[in-house]
Amino acid sequence: MIEHSPILRTVARFTVPLTVAMSVVVFMQGHNLPGGGFIAGVLAAAAGATYLLAFGVVRASKFSWWRLSVIGLLIALVTGVVLGFVGVNFMDHTAIEWVVPGIHYHLHLPTATFFDLGVYLIVFGTLMTVFVELGLEGR
Amino acid sequence: MELLPIIVFLPFACAAVALLTGRYLGKWSGLLMVGAAAASFVMALSLFLGSNAGHAGHAGDTEGYTQGGHAGETAVEHGEEHAVAHAGDHVADAGEHVGGHVGEHVGGDVGGPALYNLTWLEDAGTNLSISLRLQGDSFGLFFAMLVSGIGLLVGTYSLNYIDTTIGNGRVGRYYAALIAFMGSMLGIALADDLFMLFVFWEMTSITSFMLIGFWYGEDYAKKGAMTALQVTALGGLAMMAGFVLVGYITGTYQISELVSNTELQDKLMASPLLLPTLLLIFAGAFTKSAQWPFHFWLPGAMVAPTPVSTYLHAATMVKAGVFLIGRMLPIFGASVYWSSILVPIGLITFLYAAYQSLMEHDLKAILARTTLAALGMFMFLYGLKAGEQDALQIWNHAMYKAPLFLVAGIVEHATHSRDIRELGGLRKKMPITFVICCLGALSMAGLPPFFGFAAKESLYGHLLSNEVLATGMWQNLRWPIIGACVLANAFIFAVSWKLILGLFAGKETEKAHHAHEAGISLWGPAAVLGTIAIGMGLLATTGFTQSLVNNLSSAEHAHAHVTIIPDFSHPGPLVLSAITIALGITIYLSRRVVNVFQFAMAKVLPTMQSIWDRFMNTSTAIATAYSTKWQNGSLAWYMAATCIAFVVFSWIALHQGGLGLHSAEINMAHTPWYGAALCGLLGVAAIMVTKAETRLGGAITLTATGFLTSLVFVVYRSPDILLTQILIETVSTIFILLILFHMPSWKRGGPRPSRKLIDMTIAGAFGATMTLFVLLMTTPALRAKANLAGEYLSRTYTGGGGQNAVNVIIVDFRAIDTTGEIVVLVMVGLIAFGLLRSRRKNNGAIQTATNTVSKPGRHDNQESTKP
Repeated sequence: MIEHSPILRTVARFTVPLTVAMSVVVFMQGHNLPGGGFIAGVLAAAAGATYLLAFGVVRASKFSWWRLSVIGLLIALVTGVVLGFVGVNFMDHTAIEWVVPGIHYHLHLPTATFFDLGVYLIVFGTLMTVFVELGLEGR
Repeated sequence: MELLPIIVFLPFACAAVALLTGRYLGKWSGLLMVGAAAASFVMALSLFLGSNAGHAGHAGDTEGYTQGGHAGETAVEHGEEHAVAHAGDHVADAGEHVGGHVGEHVGGDVGGPALYNLTWLEDAGTNLSISLRLQGDSFGLFFAMLVSGIGLLVGTYSLNYIDTTIGNGRVGRYYAALIAFMGSMLGIALADDLFMLFVFWEMTSITSFMLIGFWYGEDYAKKGAMTALQVTALGGLAMMAGFVLVGYITGTYQISELVSNTELQDKLMASPLLLPTLLLIFAGAFTKSAQWPFHFWLPGAMVAPTPVSTYLHAATMVKAGVFLIGRMLPIFGASVYWSSILVPIGLITFLYAAYQSLMEHDLKAILARTTLAALGMFMFLYGLKAGEQDALQIWNHAMYKAPLFLVAGIVEHATHSRDIRELGGLRKKMPITFVICCLGALSMAGLPPFFGFAAKESLYGHLLSNEVLATGMWQNLRWPIIGACVLANAFIFAVSWKLILGLFAGKETEKAHHAHEAGISLWGPAAVLGTIAIGMGLLATTGFTQSLVNNLSSAEHAHAHVTIIPDFSHPGPLVLSAITIALGITIYLSRRVVNVFQFAMAKVLPTMQSIWDRFMNTSTAIATAYSTKWQNGSLAWYMAATCIAFVVFSWIALHQGGLGLHSAEINMAHTPWYGAALCGLLGVAAIMVTKAETRLGGAITLTATGFLTSLVFVVYRSPDILLTQILIETVSTIFILLILFHMPSWKRGGPRPSRKLIDMTIAGAFGATMTLFVLLMTTPALRAKANLAGEYLSRTYTGGGGQNAVNVIIVDFRAIDTTGEIVVLVMVGLIAFGLLRSRRKNNGAIQTATNTVSKPGRHDNQESTKP
């Protein structure tokens, strides 16, 4: 494995946080602009892969990435089930409309966002799991 | 407040808590079980009393209830008299409520059972929906009270029974499964939708699989759990098919509507699909309730810890099939098939299991066989459309069988043996257990003044006056059937004495020598049930028992006659009881002769277990042969199969739609020059892929085609797909990098020419089909006809609340598809994790031992984990 490249490390110090921030932006704008949970998840995983290549797979394997995907699955499923309980069909989304008192900010939060968050975590977690496990193979 | 959903879902919440906190709580997570069971019991009881009061007022039939209230006071005295903590509380509770509550509400105008409805999925077109519908009718609530009441006692018993040395985490998981099982049973009891019932039904199968396989390190536990799951889950699936047919014929899945709407029942009776429907539903009930010929899994399931056997395999789960038949009786009862299937199957199970119970030596196996016999009897009674008998018989069985199982657990705990031949003379060492065992076994034998006697008298009384047996061909079979029942009961009688005398009488054996009495948390729950077994018998003299079981039964106007004081003007039942006892004593005294005959027979006849094993082995062999042939691990073959299937099905679909090469139009007018240049480059890159000499070369050229494709999306202004494409290309490149080192290098010169030709044909056909699709999709005439994209775009904001159509489709319009996909994704991650980790562990072990690593094995696994 290419683990000891100082160039990659120096670059990664900047690109990894930037890519993660980018992935959050891409996720947040997903409902109206290009983006969404899947793309953002892949983007975050790309950041993770950079980290893994620059700082070594052992450091990246300190975290159990599969937990992230399981949590994501729970979020997605719970969203669907909760929707079932508030009178919408299972997995048929609605939006939370809330005018924040005081500042008159109109909050438009589609429930699909929570589902999308699940997708994001699953894609991120699964890709990282596979990266880390394959990386550990090489050692 | 809506109590029904709380009754069902509170246990699931508690199960989740037990699962999460089990490793800290250890055995105290059992208190969650006790708490959930107590809460569900109280809620079910209050619903029963409430709806019953309303019902009484509605029907204007107050007499029976006044009697009930009166007897309730007797129950209070009775509870105090015995001063047994739990029984006292509950019976007193019941008494107060029957006495006070009913009195208040009689004459009220609210009637009917409690209902709860929450629609999950609705299809406006066919009017079919899958809903979380619950109903609290008296039979359902009776079953719910039985489940939660015994759950309470079994939870208490488990607290000191389960050995905590196996680790807190496992104890927590045990309780989580047990509580989840209780929730599923409550769901079955209260479900008003056939699919809800099915879902809870399969959940009991799964939780019971976990509980039977509690000692998962042992082979016999694994086998018992597997057989139970295979049989019951297969039956459950058949049952679901039956439910689908019911929905197809009648247009509804709602149980209460099917019961009340005679028009729908007529539709069912007139349908040519009636027999398959019935057979499929019966398959579910017969497997779950272990009817002959599916009975063999139940004795195998006795490898479970004793509280589990008590709860699942005696008191509740195995009665789910019986309960289902009870639910179906008002719907299908008019069918001619009903009696002619249920009566023989039930009777065979009853007689055969009673006969076999005398052969067993293992305490739990004896009890399992007698449970089978009782289940057969319930089926047989439903076959005779004796709905009014159900609550009485089911309750009676639970009250004697559960304490006997608990006693078996106590004896095993004390002596480390369950073999009745090794035990004996325990009466001095374990006096309390002896008394409890007598309460249970004498009730099972059907001796006065026990509940069992009242139930058996009522059964005989019913058989003598049964309407089904008085009509048609059944008239000739009437006496043989009654005779078979008497014979089966005589066997049960003999077995009851074998239990009492075999365990407690006679000389003290070696195993019994070191025995000592168990603590109150073990014998307490058994004592509560034993007390009810005799208490309900004694109360039968007041009419309380009769009015209670008639109110609880599934029949609308039940009038089962329940008393322990013989009616000498109609001596029929008493005479049959006398014959039973006489025959039973004869069998007991000549049991050695009977055993010799039984074992000789058993040698000749094949057992159902062996037939099932052969069936399973054959199916496994077929499956293995199939998968080694087609799922051979070669990615090239998978790729080829996928491409061929895609091409074939696409052309069939195109042909069906009247489309083909002729409908494609090539319109270059709007294509910019750089678009055409890009396509040319793509073509060159694609050819380069095929020319690559090494894996690295192939990877690089493949990446090139990917990035060039993303440029195509730039030209056609599709930012979403562009982003996805670029990221996926990046990530795949990383993947390839990570595994490239482990791959073997390609053979020099590539594959054989013949193989090359086949691969080229497949690739060419696939590419041509894809090209045709792209051309068709951009054909204006076609887009005008079926404009799916336009449809989605116009609904994106109004229906999905977002402006990005791609994202709205993924997370909203097709959210259920996406759910399936993400589940697969999570599974892929977990499998990759598990496989690679365990393989590294094994390889590490091999490496330290022999310092070698087998190369080919590594490569095979590498290929299969590539996403």
